[in-house]
Amino acid sequence: MVKRMTLKQFVFIIPLLVFIGVFSFYPIITSFMYSLFDYRNNDQSYNGFFISEQFNGSLFQEDCKYVNYFLDADKMLMDEADQAEISAVQEDVTAMMEKYADITDTEKISDSQMTEIKEFNRDIRERIMAVYDSDKYAGVEFYNAENMPAILDNLDSTIVTSNFVGLTNYINLAKDGRFWADVGHTLLFTVVSVFFEFILGLCLALIMNQSIRGIGAIRTMGLIPWAIPTAVSAMMWKYMYDGDFGVVAHIFNKLGLIDTQASMLMTPDGAMASAIIADIWKTTPYMALLLLAGLQVIDSGLYEAASIDGSGKVGTFFRITLPLMKPSIMVALLFRTLDSFRVFDLLTILTGGGPGNGTETLSIYSNKLIFSQSNYGYGSAVVIGMFVCVAIIAFIYMKVLGADVISDKTA
Amino acid sequence: MKKKTAFDWACLVFIILFLFITVFPFLWIVITSFKTDADIHGAATYALLSAHPTIENYIAVIFDKGVLNAIKNSLIIAALTTVYVTITASMSAYIIARFRFKGRTLLVVIILGVSMFPQMILIGPIFNMFYQLGWLNSYMITLPYGCITLPSAVWIMMTHFRQVPASLEEAAKMDGCSPWKTLWKIIFPIAAPGIFASAILTFISAWNEYLLSLTLNSDVSWMSVPVRIASLQNEYTIYWGQITAAAALVTIPTLIIVLLFQKQIVSGIASGGVKE
Repeated sequence: MVKRMTLKQFVFIIPLLVFIGVFSFYPIITSFMYSLFDYRNNDQSYNGFFISEQFNGSLFQEDCKYVNYFLDADKMLMDEADQAEISAVQEDVTAMMEKYADITDTEKISDSQMTEIKEFNRDIRERIMAVYDSDKYAGVEFYNAENMPAILDNLDSTIVTSNFVGLTNYINLAKDGRFWADVGHTLLFTVVSVFFEFILGLCLALIMNQSIRGIGAIRTMGLIPWAIPTAVSAMMWKYMYDGDFGVVAHIFNKLGLIDTQASMLMTPDGAMASAIIADIWKTTPYMALLLLAGLQVIDSGLYEAASIDGSGKVGTFFRITLPLMKPSIMVALLFRTLDSFRVFDLLTILTGGGPGNGTETLSIYSNKLIFSQSNYGYGSAVVIGMFVCVAIIAFIYMKVLGADVISDKTA
Repeated sequence: MKKKTAFDWACLVFIILFLFITVFPFLWIVITSFKTDADIHGAATYALLSAHPTIENYIAVIFDKGVLNAIKNSLIIAALTTVYVTITASMSAYIIARFRFKGRTLLVVIILGVSMFPQMILIGPIFNMFYQLGWLNSYMITLPYGCITLPSAVWIMMTHFRQVPASLEEAAKMDGCSPWKTLWKIIFPIAAPGIFASAILTFISAWNEYLLSLTLNSDVSWMSVPVRIASLQNEYTIYWGQITAAAALVTIPTLIIVLLFQKQIVSGIASGGVKE
């Protein structure tokens, strides 16, 4: 039974809408905006979103102060004519400081003001450097011979040019070998781990579906790896894979699976295999429970009928169990694929993306760009690229599955 | 009694192997946590029992490394998240399960979509937002946890609410119950197992969350359990004894939750996955 919703009921879903809006939609839109700018948190000229040229008032004041201060120190070493010239420059600088004293932020100013500041910058640079570079002072060591050009360069940067780059980040992304290599690593990790989790999980589900004594205990055991934090299990495995003290690496080495104990985490292939094994260990029981739920809704009468018809266990499995489980298999695979695709905790702790970026996934790459290099713009482009991949994967599953996964049961 | 076939034996071997592989890492972690550094790095690396069992590692982890504080942080954050997510999700799930409205299918698609897209897309803007609001290193982190846990909570509850007979609600309405009262007095008690299952899963995913916690609460005194344990390896030498002790320690709460609530967890996972 379905009723029409009235305003009274709408109130009930407002909190959910607000949450999705603030903590999902807003960040997605903002990330997309970041990706259109050369936005970097660690650089004053890129630390915002400037569609047009802007003027950084506080930096201007600061730089002018330094110019005058440097000039004060070096004036003593000059002859009288130059001293007068430098004093004139200083007066001009002070006049400009006063004129623009009320602009304390990075903001838009009129074109004529922009031109005035640019001309002022060029003018004082010429006049100051004419004195500093003059042959007269070849033997004189000015205190600020090196600081002066630097502060003048800095003064130029008070005119903030637009950091809107349009689709440039995406064009660079398409040409970025590291991005495509990471897409490869992510897909490899996803496909291999989900494949094994599915096969092993299905076996486990089929066994758990039989009424054997002690099955409850087995189920409980299986829940523990799934329920502990991935970060903690990653640390556990990191210890067991250790090149010197790791018991799993030691056993694999003794079995002849790897050349040396260190090759588990110290080679790209070994590290990828390590991560996949750790993921299979953690997630197979979860997969089994998802599939078990699908198994249990199959009408047991069908099995009896098949048994009467003389169908063997294998035949029954392929003709009845598997086709009837298809919807839950697809849902489980979809959940797990998208979950694996965004893998972060496990790999960042186990390998840090190494060795030699050999296990770097898209999540790790974007996280490095955004938080280690403060390069929000490009990092966000990587994230959006990842988003597109996820959308494609989801789309393929939906096609295979039919739109049915999200349809209403009650409608 | 039926004679065991080869197939049954294969199943048995599979189960035994599965149990061994599942349990072995925990066993090994516990074994290592009672070894001294000399044992771990020396001849006794692979010994099953330490010649000199010690609880030094546990003492170091509890008193010097602030793991207890991290457990406290995680408990508070996970509990707060569970409370508000369960309330919000149950209200929405009730409406979505029971009422027809424009954009309902769209809302379901969005909820499903939100649970699937990469969380990395949220982290830059949310970090900037928290930085500007001065919310870094605070319990405010529970708010963005909602975007991770809400969708699956709504999903699980929807499944359970649909199983509540609509006639009960009709009767309640006849008796003059408001929607609030209907939800609290009629639906809640009947759907309680489902709500409880979803609450347990919410708690577990909040307890396990790593990315947001790493980014937003990076101060040692605010770190959650996963972040604190992972950060133990960033020091110059890796003290495996301490790390394994910490891992063993934080597995205990999870173990308790799993043992107490396994039925609810299994039903929660199942209702997330079944498509009838």
